Parts: sequence; C-alpha cells; structure tokens
Amino acid sequence: MIPKIGSGINGFDELTGGLPENTMTLVYGPPKTGKSIFCYQFLGQAMDDDDLCMYLMTDYNLAQLEQQMMAFDWFIHDYITNKRLYVIDTASGSIGAMQKETENMLISFPQNPTDIASKVIQQLQCVHQQAQRFRSVLDSATTLFAFNSPILIIRVLKAYTLRIKMAGGTGIITYTEGSAEPQIETMLKATADNIVYLGEDELVIEAMAGLKRTKASYQITDKGLVVW
Amino acid sequence: MAAITPTGDSTGGKLRRTYIPVLDDILGGGMPAGTSLLFTAMPGVTSEVFGYQIIAERMRCDKEIGFIYTNTKTPVEIEHVFQKYGWDLRSFLDSNQGFFVDSISPMMGMPAIGKYVIDDFADSEATVKNAISDVAGGTAVIENIATLLDSIGFDQTLGLIGRLNEEARKNDVNIVYMFTRWNYKNILLEKLSDIVDCEVKLFSIEEKVIYRQVFAVTKSNWITPRTNKIFFEVLEPGGVRVFVPKLLVTGPYNAGKTAFTHAIAADTVSVDRQSYELFPTTVGLDIGHLDYNGFSADVFGTPGQERFDLLLEPLAREAIGAFIVIDSTKPDTFVRAKEMIRMCHTEAIPKVIVANKQDLSDALSPEAIKEKMALWEDVPIIPVSVVNKEGLNKALDTLFSLMYSV
Repeated sequence: MIPKIGSGINGFDELTGGLPENTMTLVYGPPKTGKSIFCYQFLGQAMDDDDLCMYLMTDYNLAQLEQQMMAFDWFIHDYITNKRLYVIDTASGSIGAMQKETENMLISFPQNPTDIASKVIQQLQCVHQQAQRFRSVLDSATTLFAFNSPILIIRVLKAYTLRIKMAGGTGIITYTEGSAEPQIETMLKATADNIVYLGEDELVIEAMAGLKRTKASYQITDKGLVVW
Repeated sequence: MAAITPTGDSTGGKLRRTYIPVLDDILGGGMPAGTSLLFTAMPGVTSEVFGYQIIAERMRCDKEIGFIYTNTKTPVEIEHVFQKYGWDLRSFLDSNQGFFVDSISPMMGMPAIGKYVIDDFADSEATVKNAISDVAGGTAVIENIATLLDSIGFDQTLGLIGRLNEEARKNDVNIVYMFTRWNYKNILLEKLSDIVDCEVKLFSIEEKVIYRQVFAVTKSNWITPRTNKIFFEVLEPGGVRVFVPKLLVTGPYNAGKTAFTHAIAADTVSVDRQSYELFPTTVGLDIGHLDYNGFSADVFGTPGQERFDLLLEPLAREAIGAFIVIDSTKPDTFVRAKEMIRMCHTEAIPKVIVANKQDLSDALSPEAIKEKMALWEDVPIIPVSVVNKEGLNKALDTLFSLMYSV
C-alpha cells in the first residue's frame, strides 16, 4: 500500500486514492486551466488535516492568496495567524516592494535562486521541528524560468524537491506548458515523482506510483476543481 | 601547487584581512594582494554574506575601494541586505569608495544602477576588467558564478574567470567569487577550484532536525590550510560569526557561575533560580547566547551543588569548550572544582579556569591557585572579577584561542 494524502480536490482522490505521501507532484498545462486553484485546494486540505504547509509563491502575495481563496469560500486567515502556513513570497520581491518579513512570511526574489534556497532551508528547519510530515506548494516554476537560465532552474527544482522530500514533505510544483523549451520540460518532468496534466477540459494522470495513465474530465466551479 | 609570493603589491606583501572570523587565522592572516577566493556554497547555506562582509569591512576598516558585480540581486536589494547586517553601503557609494557592476537590472527590465551596466552576459568581460582596473589595490566581489555557468556555458565561464583573475593579479585586486553549487558535475567543480587561488566551501551538517552551517578552507595557494570545519551562523545585524554550539560554565557552588554567564551572555535566562538557601542559587541551569569578537556561542551554566550532579553529564554533553568558575577566596572548594571537571568530561576539551572574586582582599593569585589545584595539565587560569567586569574578555579570548588556535 502506498500511503496517500488527500488532494482536497473533489473527485481527484476517488480517481487516484490521493497523492502519494512524501513525493513531489508536477501539475502542468496551458494557461488558465486551474493550476493555482489546484494549489489552493491542496492548501485547503492541509488546513482541514491540520498539516503544516510551506508555500512558495511567485505571482501573488499572501494577502492575494487569502483573497483568491476567499472567492471559493476557503478561509485561511486563522491558519496563517496560527503559523501553520509558511510562505516565501518572491512576487513582492520582483516588484521591489520591500515588505516586512515575519517568522512565517519571508520575501525573496525570483532571479535569486540562491536566496530562495536559503529561505526554503530556514523554513524547513521551523517546519521540521514541529512535524514529521507536512505539505509544500511551489506556484509557479514558470516565473522562475522566466527570470533565470532554465537549466539553472532545473538544478534549483531538483535541490528543492530533494530537500522537501528529505524533511518529510509532500509537494506540488506548477508549471505553464510551453514556457520553456521541450528539452527543459522533459527535465522538469524527470524531477517530479507524479505528473498531472491539466488540459483544456481533461485531467491526465501522466505518472503516479501504482497507477496507470488515467484520464478524467474536470471543471472549474465555485467549489474549485471538480473531477469526474 | 606553487606558493604565491605576493609581489609588487602596494601593501608591502602584507596579507589583507577578510574579516571573516577564524578564516583569517586559517589563511595565515588574510589574502595576498592580487589573489582570488572562491566561496562554493551548497544550496540553502547562507553564502552571500561572506562576500559582502569582506568588502564592507575592508571599506570600513581599511578604507579600501571595491565593487560588487551582481547578476542575482539588484543594487537596491543589495543595499537592503547590507543594511540588514548593519553595514552602511550608501556612504561608500556616495563617496565613490564602492560601486556596482549591475548585470541584473537590464534583464529585469528595471533601470540600471551602477557605474557599469551589463545587459548581455556575453559582454561581461571588458566591463568587469575595466571595473577591476578602477579598484586597483582593492576588492571585487562577483556574484553569482552559477548564473554565468548556466547562461554563457561552462568553458566560457572558466575562461572568463581565468582572464579576470589575470587582470586582478595585475591590479593587486582581491577577487572574491560567490558560487552556489547546484548539481554540477564534479569535473566542473574541480576545474573551477583549479583556477582560483583559494577555495572555501560552505555547507551544512544535519543531525535530526538541527541544521548547522559550516565553512572549511579546502584550498589555498599561499598556505597549507587546516581542513577544520568551522561552524558559523549569521547574525542580523552583525554578519558571519563563528558558532560555538555549546560552551559550558561549571564550577563549585557559589563561585559565581550564574553571574559570570550573565556577564558574558547578556540575555541569559536562569531556570528555576530561587532563594532556597542563604544565597540565591541555580537549581536548574543557565542558558544564554553570547556574541563576542566574531564568535557566537550558546552558553550552558550548570548548578554547583552536589545534589544536582546528575544534571552535569547531560548538560555537559557535546560541549566543545568550558569555563570552570572558582571562588578564588575558597581554596577548600578547589577539590570540588576538579571533581566537576571530571564529571562534566571536560578533561578532553579546551577549558579555562575563571578565578573569580579577585576583587576580594583574600583572593588567591592565579599562581597560588595553580599550586593548590595541582591540575594534571596546563589549564590557563584567568583572574576575573565578575562584579567589577574585569578579566571577562581575557577569559573569552583565551578560551576561543585555545579552541581555534592554528
């Protein structure tokens, strides 16, 4: 039996049994297919399960995350104030907005993977001291590719994945299809354990331990992604 | 590897300090003019601060000139980082003592700041060479090699570094490279190491959940480096500090251990300190953190009474240095002090005897204490008066130099 954890997505766990624990899942597809929403739901499930979550965001800040989740009636305010959520925000960093860092909200810069890595480690220490298992989200690798040499980001994501898994985490990395060369995409897929493709109207489990390649339909509703 | 003799340098062959604690001692005093230093950092280890500390302290203490080449952080961000560590970059920039070679802003679509701007990595060479000749006799910090490697290619990067080193040598410039070691092939890492004069590796050690950062000099062309791993932590403000995971303060009852611990580590917390007896005493332990002269340490003070002897062993475990505090007016407690040295297993680690209460008229001199204690080895005895704050620095200096002597 492969231990699995809830994805938080209606229908996804019925299809797959959940995400294999202590693995990294790549969620990729064309723009606007719900990759970030996938992350929100994964985070929502972390909150329901009272798991800690490390969230590396590149395109929105913490306040925006809270807002976007509120649109789906998911409220993470208490989860944040209870310090169950650890955020690294590289979006504020990229526009030069110097926000004040807190214990569970660090600022970094998309073009500085060295700094990102050192902040990931800093938070991993905190998280690992509190729990043997936790969740992680990186939304989205696309931005990192845009700001750096793609091959460098492949190295960075390898190091990131290794660290998260060593510390007991189960994570998601999102990526927008076509934003890097095909060769880079192949390498990106190789760094993940599971691969979930979000197409225009279908969801494909391209790789997951113990599962065959599986297709399903999905829709973005006011309750987030729903898979059937 | 042939040793480099610093020639034609304006400092008269003097080594130039890096201002990284202990690193200068390992390097025999610092770097010869015109040499290069590579910091190879494992991802996740705080590394940028090393380069910044060198240039900041040199500009501040030695009035040196220098520049920072950056392809990972914008000059504005770097200024913020300096501020965080308590170094005033702005005034150096304003007085033209320091400047940026900005190789990031154009790529970020931001207005470039700096004396030199590079908008294509491939054109870096001429610009950086100009910058080097501008700071003749000074310091250049190049950040980050990883970005170059993956942008312009390995051979091009190695060639570039070789030629920059040559330029630096001609101009007596110390060139400091910051390099984050992602999963590059070993052959590349070896080649990179080959073309610099000195390499310091920054990595981490994990034991269960504790994560410690370490530096080690793995190569130096001008001195045979000790390969000791030096724990460090980074303070804000402050910068790189050599980190001592555990310093023990022990000694007989009422010798002044708690007062000593509070004196060397201002924020010390005393656990369960209560007036059970005539004197307030430590019945649990004292824990504090000290920051002194490039060293930072977690300090653990033990209680002194025999009924707490059970606590000594676990408290002392993993300590790497110890202060044995004694009351210089009470020779009858010296036997107890020796007993505690044994129970704390501090025979084998560097230690200093703090001969406290030297302010009292009947205090014995260090020589007399030495004779009365009849120690089996030569342990430095430092006269101290905690109440008058005398001898504290001497005690700290002595212990740290025992622990980190070259």
